[in-house]
Amino acid sequence: MDTIETILKTAAGRADEAEVYLSRSESVGAELSRDRVRVGQANHATGLGIRVFIDGRVGASSTNDPLKWEACLEAALAALRLADPQPWEGLPGPIALPGTPLAFDPAVTLAPSTVAELLDAMKAGAASHPSASVTAGSAGLSRSTVEVANTHGLRYTDEETHASCSVEAIAGTSTGFEFASSHALDLDPAWVGERAAFFAAHGAGGKPLPTGTYDLVLSPLALAELLEAVLMPALVGRNVHAGRSRLAGRVGETILDPRLSLYDDPHRPMGPGAAWFDAEGVPTHRLDLVRDGVLAGFAYDLRTAYRYGAVTTGSAVRGGYGGAPTTGFHTLVLEGPVADVMADEAIYVRSVVGAHTANTITGDFSVEVSNPSFVEGGAFTTPVRTAMWGGNVFDLLSQVEGVSAETRKIGELILPALRIQGQRLVG
Amino acid sequence: MQRYFDVRHVAGESTNIDIDNGVVESATTSLFDRAVVRVLGPSGWGVVSVDNYRDADLDRFVAEALALAELTGETVDLADAPHRVLPLPSPTDDPRSYGLEEKTRLLAGVEAAAKGPEVRNTRAVYTERHETVRFASSEGVEYAYELGRSGYNVLAVAERNGVVQMGYERRHAINGFPLRSGAACGEKARETALALLDARAAIGGRMRVVLDPELAGVFAHEAVGHASEGDLVREGNSVLAGKVGERIGAPGLSIVDDPSLPEFGFDPVDAEGVATARTELVRNGVINAFLHTRETLAAVGNGMAGHARAMPGEVPLVRMSNTFIENGDATYDECLAECGTGILLIGSRGGQVDPGRGMFQFNAEYGYLIEDGEPGAMVRDVSLSGEILGTLHEVALIANDRRMHQGYCGKGGQSVPVGDGAPHVLLSDAVVGGSGHD
Repeated sequence: MDTIETILKTAAGRADEAEVYLSRSESVGAELSRDRVRVGQANHATGLGIRVFIDGRVGASSTNDPLKWEACLEAALAALRLADPQPWEGLPGPIALPGTPLAFDPAVTLAPSTVAELLDAMKAGAASHPSASVTAGSAGLSRSTVEVANTHGLRYTDEETHASCSVEAIAGTSTGFEFASSHALDLDPAWVGERAAFFAAHGAGGKPLPTGTYDLVLSPLALAELLEAVLMPALVGRNVHAGRSRLAGRVGETILDPRLSLYDDPHRPMGPGAAWFDAEGVPTHRLDLVRDGVLAGFAYDLRTAYRYGAVTTGSAVRGGYGGAPTTGFHTLVLEGPVADVMADEAIYVRSVVGAHTANTITGDFSVEVSNPSFVEGGAFTTPVRTAMWGGNVFDLLSQVEGVSAETRKIGELILPALRIQGQRLVG
Repeated sequence: MQRYFDVRHVAGESTNIDIDNGVVESATTSLFDRAVVRVLGPSGWGVVSVDNYRDADLDRFVAEALALAELTGETVDLADAPHRVLPLPSPTDDPRSYGLEEKTRLLAGVEAAAKGPEVRNTRAVYTERHETVRFASSEGVEYAYELGRSGYNVLAVAERNGVVQMGYERRHAINGFPLRSGAACGEKARETALALLDARAAIGGRMRVVLDPELAGVFAHEAVGHASEGDLVREGNSVLAGKVGERIGAPGLSIVDDPSLPEFGFDPVDAEGVATARTELVRNGVINAFLHTRETLAAVGNGMAGHARAMPGEVPLVRMSNTFIENGDATYDECLAECGTGILLIGSRGGQVDPGRGMFQFNAEYGYLIEDGEPGAMVRDVSLSGEILGTLHEVALIANDRRMHQGYCGKGGQSVPVGDGAPHVLLSDAVVGGSGHD
């Protein structure tokens, strides 16, 4: 009997139901200091999470030493005794799921030589803008295995690979950074290096911006920063029912520009959070959140769904093995009216400084724009020195002029660039 | 062949209690055990992070790290630095002497205190963490210590006529148990949320600003602290690089980082065995020193090692600990009077900085318009941004009422506990951001 079976068998005698989550990961990476490798790294990680259930009470604990599973189980049972009972209708049983992992590329091996090649290619890309120099960078490769099992006989395994690289550059006091992250070994490190150096080089000698109203083009990165701070939490069922979401009670209403749609697409191969099952072993499926501007629904894990009389949307996620699963998203896709967003003059917002200080409930934010520049005719024109931007995430998503055809993966999101009108910038 | 190696092993337990709208969602204790083994090869570092470290495996991890060091081309040297472990602050109130049930009951009291008319959601979260840190190096330095941190935060969300606002309070301590007297924080969160229902959105622009001690502490952290980190200076990614000895602000302005101070960012010894001590980043308006590890001190100079910090199993980085503006000789009332017309900013919702570009941004929890030297109408969603090299010259008055606040600071994927603090400070010209319109 392996550890998971032993834990479940023991826990079954002490609780109505139990769940075990076991993760193992191995990674290798390296970091640049200026243009030289300063550190080579490896990481060997293990995590065990246990949840137990009795009469609607749930207790959880975790450890990174699977040999300490008995102490972990006792801690979970102690936690259970303090938790308030809530409506609970049970963990899922097993169903047949496709065996092919959605986020695994056998080409991702933990070879230090591959890490070195990624770093070299980034540096070569950055060299195409000689006025900028690399200040820091990193590359990494990882392989991980996740197992979810419960006392209903469910036991799923998923394997995942990951490759990433990033670089920072500077020209005078103009900084630039770029990154790429994928489950497959399909990164374009030369592009990453070139873009970081371009933003650094282009921003040098930025001109002061008169305070006023401008059209903006938000890069996918800037858009992701604002959506992660405000819109994504507002679509989580627990926040909605707890009174922490501005979208509570508005299903069926138009909340965004009627040409925008937002959905979670967990089965998209190599999607950021691609998986056949969620962190509680619930099968995943496409989840429409906003359809043609109309709020279509919210994301639920099992616990929130049972409590509020909803149905789980297979949206349980874990940040790691620790604690309990929370509600989140797998591969969130935003689609809108495709246009040539950089054709007419606008200020390009590469990223924003301080998105995490936004008011998560109202959506109001006030941020500093990174790498601001005028764009026109599809090209970057005059760089701008500083621009502070105050606005509201919900309002700006109701004033969309168009989105780019090209998209990119940022975190759990797949996003286009987005053009909006009439935003006030303080120069 | 290796020139140096060390191992830092951290084991312990963490407790988390979450009460949401009166429901105990979780009251969990978890165990952790992680180590990081660093080896200095002929050029740079090889580093192995591992769960469930056993001393018997050290040779194997040293060999693995040495092989990884072959990837490096940067020549890393370590400056000599004094080794010392400070005595731990004596526990005022040990959280481990209270059971999980008692903590849950106390937290429920904090959460209940945040409830009231027009409050539609309350949530309180307690966190407690005990770490046993063991360190050994090839230079024969060895130490072990145990340190606990605990604290809580409470959120109140109020709604009236479709307007939703929130109030948020938090208290954390080393070797103490602030939860025991937490009910006042719940009430404060409720009062702030209710007051903000009537506040207007701030209108952005350039103006005179008075920062309260919490926000002025964040200002010191974001505007000066990060750009003083030796690794950023070495990489050429700080506007303060090469500027030691230059004037950055008025005489009387001193900004300090001090991990030896028994505040929330306290370290009895740093993450590479070096004695912790006070570093004056800015002394009387002049850039004085940077924050360093042994490596960045050797590469950059100007300052002291002893500022290496790390999460369990992670690589030590140059980090701030307790960062603060020293008291001046003005009073809070003098700051308001001298401001005349402007804005008073209170509390912090966090901040961020681009040290290479020299731009920082941070958000207040709320503010008050100042007219004729008196705080008046309340405003919400207000931020402040500026350029590191220009803004400190705008510090016109520094009061004598410094207070420290507790928070967490992120860098390189690692979050560490920090204390930030300052007295009230008047800025004569600052860029204030808000979503309001004339």
